[in-house]
Formats: sequence, C-alpha cells, structure tokens
Amino acid sequence: MIEKKTIIAPATASGRGGISVIRMSGPRSEVIAQEMCGQLADPWRFKRCEIRSGENLVIDSCMVVFFKSPHSYTGDDVIEFHCHGNPTIVNLVIETAIKLGAVVAEPGEFTKTAFLNDKIDLAQAESVADLINAQSESAVIAANSSLTGKFSDAINNILDELTAIRVFVEANIDFPEEDVDKSLLNTCVDRLKSLSDQTTQLISSTVGGVKLRDGYSVAIVGPPNAGKSTLLNLLARENVAITSDIPGTTRDLVKVPVNLDGVLIEFIDTAGMRDNPENEIEKEGINRSREVIEKSNLSLVVQDANRIVEFDFGMEDFISVYNKCDLYGGQKKNGEGVFYITATTGQGVPELLKGLVNKLDIDEGQETAFLSRQRHVSCLTEGGLRIDESLTSLEEGQGLELVAENLKNSHRVLGEILRPLSSDDLLGEIFSEFCIGK
Amino acid sequence: MNKYDVVVIGGGHAGVEAAAVASRFGVKTALITHDSSKIGEMSCNPAIGGIGKSHLAKEVDAMGGLMAKAADKAGIHYRVLNSTKGQAVRATRVQTDRELYKSAVQELVNNENNLTVIEGSVIDFKIKNSQIKAVLIESGEEFSSETVVLTTGTFLGGVMHTGLEQSPGGRVGDPSSEKLAKKLRSLNLSVGRLKTGTPPRLNKHTIDWSILTPQPGDVPTPLLSYTSKKEERPKQLDCFMTRTNKETHQIIMDHLHESPMYSGVIEGVGPRYCPSIEDKVMRFSERDSHQIFAEPEGLESDLIYPNGISTSLPLKAQAALIRSIKGFENAEIVRPGYAIEYDYFDPTGLKHSLETKAIEGLFFAGQINGTTGYEEAAAQGLMAGINAALKTKKQNAFVLKRDEAYTGVLIDDLVSLGTKEPYRMFTSRAEYRLILREDNADMRLTEKGRNLGIVPDELWEKYLQKKRQSSLEFTRLKKVKLQPNTIEAEYIEHQSGEKISNNISLFEMLKRPKVFHSHLPQGSDELPTNVIDEIEASVKYEGYIKRQKADIDKLQRNENTPIPETIDYKNVVGLSNEVKQRLSEARPESLARASRLPGITPAAISLLMVHIKKGRRLVG
Ligand SMILES: Cc1cc2nc3c(=O)[nH]c(=O)nc-3n(C[C@H](O)[C@H](O)[C@H](O)COP(=O)(O)OP(=O)(O)OC[C@H]3O[C@@H](n4cnc5c(N)ncnc54)[C@H](O)[C@@H]3O)c2cc1C
Repeated sequence: MIEKKTIIAPATASGRGGISVIRMSGPRSEVIAQEMCGQLADPWRFKRCEIRSGENLVIDSCMVVFFKSPHSYTGDDVIEFHCHGNPTIVNLVIETAIKLGAVVAEPGEFTKTAFLNDKIDLAQAESVADLINAQSESAVIAANSSLTGKFSDAINNILDELTAIRVFVEANIDFPEEDVDKSLLNTCVDRLKSLSDQTTQLISSTVGGVKLRDGYSVAIVGPPNAGKSTLLNLLARENVAITSDIPGTTRDLVKVPVNLDGVLIEFIDTAGMRDNPENEIEKEGINRSREVIEKSNLSLVVQDANRIVEFDFGMEDFISVYNKCDLYGGQKKNGEGVFYITATTGQGVPELLKGLVNKLDIDEGQETAFLSRQRHVSCLTEGGLRIDESLTSLEEGQGLELVAENLKNSHRVLGEILRPLSSDDLLGEIFSEFCIGK
Repeated sequence: MNKYDVVVIGGGHAGVEAAAVASRFGVKTALITHDSSKIGEMSCNPAIGGIGKSHLAKEVDAMGGLMAKAADKAGIHYRVLNSTKGQAVRATRVQTDRELYKSAVQELVNNENNLTVIEGSVIDFKIKNSQIKAVLIESGEEFSSETVVLTTGTFLGGVMHTGLEQSPGGRVGDPSSEKLAKKLRSLNLSVGRLKTGTPPRLNKHTIDWSILTPQPGDVPTPLLSYTSKKEERPKQLDCFMTRTNKETHQIIMDHLHESPMYSGVIEGVGPRYCPSIEDKVMRFSERDSHQIFAEPEGLESDLIYPNGISTSLPLKAQAALIRSIKGFENAEIVRPGYAIEYDYFDPTGLKHSLETKAIEGLFFAGQINGTTGYEEAAAQGLMAGINAALKTKKQNAFVLKRDEAYTGVLIDDLVSLGTKEPYRMFTSRAEYRLILREDNADMRLTEKGRNLGIVPDELWEKYLQKKRQSSLEFTRLKKVKLQPNTIEAEYIEHQSGEKISNNISLFEMLKRPKVFHSHLPQGSDELPTNVIDEIEASVKYEGYIKRQKADIDKLQRNENTPIPETIDYKNVVGLSNEVKQRLSEARPESLARASRLPGITPAAISLLMVHIKKGRRLVG
C-alpha cells in the first residue's frame, strides 16, 4: 500500500531572525519527529526538545508541537519545529526529516491538503494565498474575513435559501396531487426577489473585493516629453518601501506599485504618444499603450502646461494633469478632473493623488467585506442571472419546470465557488499561486 | 434435463418484461412463476403511470416492452397530471381494470416466440465458482441456465401485517418465498428489509356516491403506448374524491399503539413518498385533512380502491377510520389493508447491466433491488432481460445514460447510491429533465431498441412515420412567415395575446411562451398529438436544452474517463480510508460514476484523476 506523503517545508521566510518555523504534515510526521527529538509532549502542547541529526549531533534546541489529526491545519498529523532563526539550522532540520522519509512540500501543498481533507472550502483556500500576498491593511482584514469563512457564509446563505425554494418548487412538480400549498408558490416570488437583491449586493462587495485584491491600475499617458516619467519617479520615490527597477526612458512599459492610503495602485508609464508615429517601434509602443489604457481603471493624461497638444486615445475615465507649472504663467486653478503640478518639485502632487482616490471611487471609510477573485464574480453573476430568469419564468407563468431549471443552474454555479465540480484545472491553477510552506 | 439460455424467475412486472425481451433475441427463454394465472397481477393499486412513472412506462414502450400496451387495453380512466405545466413534467396516469390488465399481459407473453412459461416455486440455485448454473423448483425439477434473472418482488421472506397480527406471504393470497430467501441470504449479497402497504378495499355498493366529488377522466383521452389504438380501450369510468377529517385522525392516533410500524414490530423502512395514513397523520400533524381518491378496481369489479389511506392498523380500527370519512359512513371493508415487509438486496452490489457483482450470470430486477412501483420494476426488467440475452451472446452490456432515459437515471441511482427506503421515480431525480420527456421517449430510444432487434415492426413503422412528420413540420414552421395585420396574425394575437409587428416565421413565433402550435396556421396534413407535443417541447425548451447538452458534453469527459478495472484504491495517494473503502466496494467504471457515489467529494475525484493520469503515463 502506498502511503500518503509526509511533507515538510519552512513556514517562515528564509533569512536570519528570532525564530524560524518548519512545518511537517502527513501520516509519518509524528514518528519522524520522535526520531529527531525523542518523546513529544501531548498533542497541542509545546515542548522544548533537542533536535538531533542522523549522526546523532544536536542541531538545535527548539520548541516542538504536535497537532494530531484531524485537528490540525491540514487535517493530517502536523508537527511544527520552532527553531532558532538561522537558514543553516532550517536546512539541517529539513534534511534530517527527509532522510527519515519526509519529502519537500510543493508550493501551497499544506493548504491544498487542508482543502482535500475538507478542512476548508475553496474560497477559504484562496484567501490563504491572498492573506499572505496582501499588501495593505484593508486587504489583510478582508482576506482574513474570507479565511474565517465570512464570504463562504454569505454564499452558503444564498445556497440554503435556494435549496429551500427548490424543494418547494420540485414538490409542486412531483406531487401535484398532494396538497402542496399553492399560496406558498406566490411567496416564492418575494423570496426570489430578495434572493436576487442579496446576490446583487454580494456581487458588488465581491467586485470591491477583487479590486482590493488585485488593486487598481492607473495609466500615465500623454504626448512625449510632458514629464510622465518624472511624475512616476516621484511617485516611486515617495514610497521607499516599494522596490522597483525603473529603467531610463524606453518604449517599454514601466510599472510602479504604490500603496496609497492602504490601497494598492499600480501606475503604468506608457510611451509618449503622438498622432503621427514616426517609425515602427513607436507605432508598436503606441499599440501597447492603447491596450494599457483599455485595461486600466483610470488614465492620467499628462501634458506640458506650456505646450498643450491635442491628445485623444480613446480614454474613457481620465484626469488631466498639467505639468511644468513652475514655468507656466497662466491660471493654475485645480478643477473637476484637472490638476496643475510641477513634477520636478512635487508641487501639486498631493492634491492630484487625493483627486485620484476620489475619482477611483475608493471609499476609504467603508471596509470591504472580503477579498475576492474574478472567478467569484463570474460565478455570482451567472448565478444571479439564473435567479432573475427563474423569477421571470415564475411571474410570466411559464412552466414551473423552467423555474426549476434556472434555480438548479443557479445553485450549481454558486456552489462551484466553494466546491468546484470539475476540479482538475481549477485546483491546479489556484494552488500554483501559493508559496512554499503554505 | 431442461436447458435454457435465459431463465426469468417471477411473473410480476419486472419478470414479464425481462422474459419477453430476452426471447426476442432468439434465445431459449423460460419464465418460472408460482401461478401462471397471476402473471401481470397488480399487488396494489391498479394504476399505471403518474409523474416520473409514466416516463418510465413510455420508455419501456418505446423499446417494445409490454406494460403500456397492456395498460391501454385495460385503461378505464386517464388523466394527464401537471397539465398546466410544461411538456417535460406532464405525465399520463391510467387507472386500469385489474382483470383486463392481467389478461392483456398474459396474452402479450403468450404471443412471444421462444418463451416458455413454467409454473413452480423456485427454492434453490446451483452455483459453481461464483457462476450461476441452474435453478431448482419445489417439485424437484431442475432448469439449467447460465443467465438467470431474479424478479421475485415482495415475496422473499415476505411478512404481512394487519395490526399486531402477522402472517407470512408474498402479497395477500400468495405464499412468501422462504426457501429461496434463505438461499439468497447465504450468498455473498447484502440483504436488508423494506416495507410497503396497501389500503383496505371497499364494497362499491356501500359507498354514498351522491355526496362525493366526481373526477372524470381527461378528454380527449390520451393513450399510454405509442402503438395502441383508441378502439382497443375499454369504456371510461369516473373516479371520486373525498377527504379524511379530524375525527379520522383522532381514530388513528388512538390506535397508533396497535400499528406494527409505531409499536416497533416492523423494522423495514417504508416509502417516504407513498406513506401510510398513519405516517401522514404523524408527520403532518398540522394538517387536519388529507385527500382520498375512490378508484374503481375494474369495470365489473365491486371493489373500490381508496387511494391515499394505505394502513396496517387492526381491522377494527380500519373500519372505524373508514366510516369517519364523508361518503364512506356505511362502507364495508371487503379486504383489510396491510403492510408487507420483505427482503431486498443492496443494489450497489449490481453492475449497471443489473448483473450481480458477486455471482456471474445472476441478474436482479424489480422490487428486490429496493424500488417500489410497477413502472420501476418494468424498466429494470426490460434492461435485465436485454442484458441477460446479450450475455448469452457474449455481447457487451446495454446501458442507458442519465441523459438518455429515466431508466438510465433509475439504474444509475440504484447502482451508485443504493437506497435506504423504497425507491420511487420522480422527475426531480433527472438532471436532464427537459430532455427526458413523455413525448420523445420514442425519439430517444426506439432506434436503439431496433438495433438490438427487440422493436417490433409496428412500433418501428410508427416511429419512422413520426420522425418524417415531425421533420416536415419543422421545415414548414421555419419556411412559412406570418405578416402583421392578417387574419392569421389576428387569430394568434387573440389566442395568445402576442402581437406580430414584423414578418416572422411560425417557428420563431412558437418560441414565445404563450403561443402554442394550435394557434398557428396549420399545414395540409393533420398531425397526431404526439408529433405536435414533441415539436412544441423542442421549440420551447430550445435554449435550455442547448445548455443541458453543453453540460452533458462537459460531463462526458469524465464519463469517458474509464477507471481501470485493476485499480487498487489503496494506492491512490491522498484519499481518506473511508473514501478508499467506498470506492473499493463500489468499483465505479468511470470518473463520472465515481463522482456520483455518496461521500465522494470533488477533491477525491481530482486525486483519482491524477492517479489515473499517472498510471497511464507509466504504461504508455
Ligand atoms: C401490499 C403491497 C402494497 C404495495 N403498495 C405499493 C404502492 O403503494 N405504490 C407502489 O408504487 N407500489 C406498491 N407496491 C409495489 C408493487 O406491487 C411492486 O413494486 C411491483 O409489483 C414490483 O414488481 P416485481 O416484478 O418486482 O414483483 P411482483 O409484482 O411482486 O412479482 C413477483 C413475482 O414473482 C413470483 N415469485 C416470487 N417468488 C417466487 C419463487 N420463489 N418462484 C417463482 N416465482 C416466484 C410471484 O408469484 C410474482 O409473480 C405494493 C406491493 C404490495 C405487495
């Protein structure tokens, strides 16, 4: 009989620090840990142990805890070694465990195991990755709320109500001779309406959750030499925490992520664009810029205030930014979607950023309930559509079997958010986003 | 010694279909049953069809089976249930004359070539190396055969209960099969107990009909079979309706301690959907009334079947509860109601061909697989008969998929999920409900049946004609355009309320929910109802059916991923022991089937998928 693997990986980032945690999960983890550290404490209790290598040399003196299946992160037996924060120690511990039969975990394998053991649903599994990758406070809070199942609960509530309505509709189809209360069928209309509202609301917070997860992107566009790169450099410098290598002026896109009041915004510098590109390279750069404009949530159209040229590349949402105002003699009054700045000195930039946050409609006060993904939005949208269709069929007095069909489809697609049906590709995709040790 | 290719045991609804269809393969077939005069006996209510059930009956009919034809020869009251809903969930129900039904079935059985009916009670099997070899009857005679279909209904270890009294029996007036039950329990099969019940029968002349609500049959009167003719149908009768009341319910409560179910005497689980009146009163205590249909048992019969009050209370209590009901104040009980408990075999021990996994050549069909109902039995009988005959010819099993027939849903549910209570068909069990309709059972199945060689010429001709008519009509509907402000347009608007503002084809018009075929200008040929029904349904459901077909294609991928027969689930990394055990027991043939097993999560399926892929890579 082939046994399930026992996997091991560092659970904390590599490098020197106070402590490093190494996690091991699988049927042999208890035995391996005993081999390495001697007798363990009772489950869920820390014990100070000496870890010995195969040559019986003490590697480290550390805290070890055993989480007994099924009450562990993965649902299998889990051991955690909390050792001194030294990469060499971590490597030695892992090497020793491997000699005793463990294998190195793949990225996301611990969480995947938890999902496969039904410890968490898929939306929760996704939020683990999101929590780790979250770059702002609101994202952390939202990811946590998904992880603890708030988002799953919201979905489950809809699913439960759908089930109740479906049971009733199906009973009316399969037992027409029995005394199924017809007046209850009318209350179904109200229940479906409120379900539809509930779904719509959830979609909008989910859309918010996607923005929070993926952040916003803002394209910086404008004619050549308007000072786009200077503006970008300035934004980048203000956020020293964010490292990015900004090459000099090239025709490539330069992306700079900026944490603006806890919201992640990615600024993308595009090539300078003019109506009559001079050569092939420039033409291609312009095409690429157009794509960026299309995909961005907003564009900043940067012009030299002293040399304004006609500029229209089909932007829908944009803010006009007039640069080089230190040299400009005209009136410089900011207005709706219009800002005057001097990128070289940073003058006017704070106002611009405030305007940007406004325009993006980032509601700072309101806490986004969960961190979500495009996948969730698509499923919810489709599910909501089917609920609305069932409502139409019910109200227009079409056959009840069509109401039932729509409800069934809605139920299925919403259910896939938590428990996908054909899971192969989807799971592969989701768990590949994880880092090792999770 | 008597040697047969196929031996069918039991002349009930499963048995007759199995025997008849097997014989059509040209193989020497025997039907062994207690009493040949009881072939086709309806143990309970003399009615065929109903929601989900009529779909099964029509499918059996579309493949040349007997049930629907016999029902039409005996049908005395027809109704289409769910007639206000769409085609997919409309269902025909036929009240039959019990005697006429029986003789119609017997006539159909006698007309089959290659089929011998043998009277006798089967008491034993001969099995060698897990292969069935012969069956023995009480008289000592032996019939050798390597393919045997067992369809003994409620007879195995049957115990009948009225009040706290019990007696062995297969149904009232028939012996139970004790020796055979004992033999079967000794085999490597998982046995359980189920129960079902039937109401008391009343004397027609002691009911006050004048105060009951009549319920006439539908006009025009439908037919159940694709090949029946109107002239074959007997005279039509009315049914009547009445209700239980508070007093009835009080009587039941007062006598509950004498009920074998509630005093704990019966251990078998009863059908949730066909509950006894005791169950209904207990379970729906908030209701103070339940519907009863007073249905005639036949044209000449003096018996009335009060549908809705199946009971196993003692006779005295039955009499009291009957007399508390409006119209039944002076009613006389001719035969008391009773409950029956019997052995069934866990159907997860079956392959999709209905052959037992434990004993090669032994097939099970009907009530013994945990189902209830004539139609469920007939559908299984047909499939078991086909597969037994195919086995004698060393051909692959014939299996219907869930998107092809209710019969496929029925068998897949039984084999994959098993059942803890008597299984009855419902439309909600079918995920492709809009495709599986009464009006197109022939379109779905007749050609398959013809290819197997079991569809008689008459049915085949009818099918071809319907196909021709329907395709011509589709062409016409697409070609003929309606113009605004014409008499035709006005007529449609008047009938349906749908306005015609531009030129539009009849086909597009028919797509609108409120427009029906009868509203449209007709072609030169008058079309039979079943053609019109089929056209209307396919047009109106078009969008939905497209989506369902897309789902089927997606699932097909899993359906087509076979799980190697040699798989050792112990080697599938990551599965819990529980899941491993379940899979090892069920041994599903494909990923899709595995995914329908209880307790098998999508996660388990992906692990399985990975394992199978890996295996393939190693081999190839
Ligand atoms: C009291 C009662 C109440 C019911 N109530 C309902 C209900 O409310 N709703 C519903 O849908 N269905 C009901 N049914 C079920 C319905 O009658 C069955 O589902 C259906 O008849 C099953 O068909 P079958 O072919 O499996 O078995 P049956 O019709 O029972 O036929 C079995 C046949 O096998 C023969 N046989 C048995 N043992 C042997 C042997 N050893 N040797 C030779 N022949 C043998 C018998 O003589 C009989 O001909 C009820 C049945 C009973 C008895």
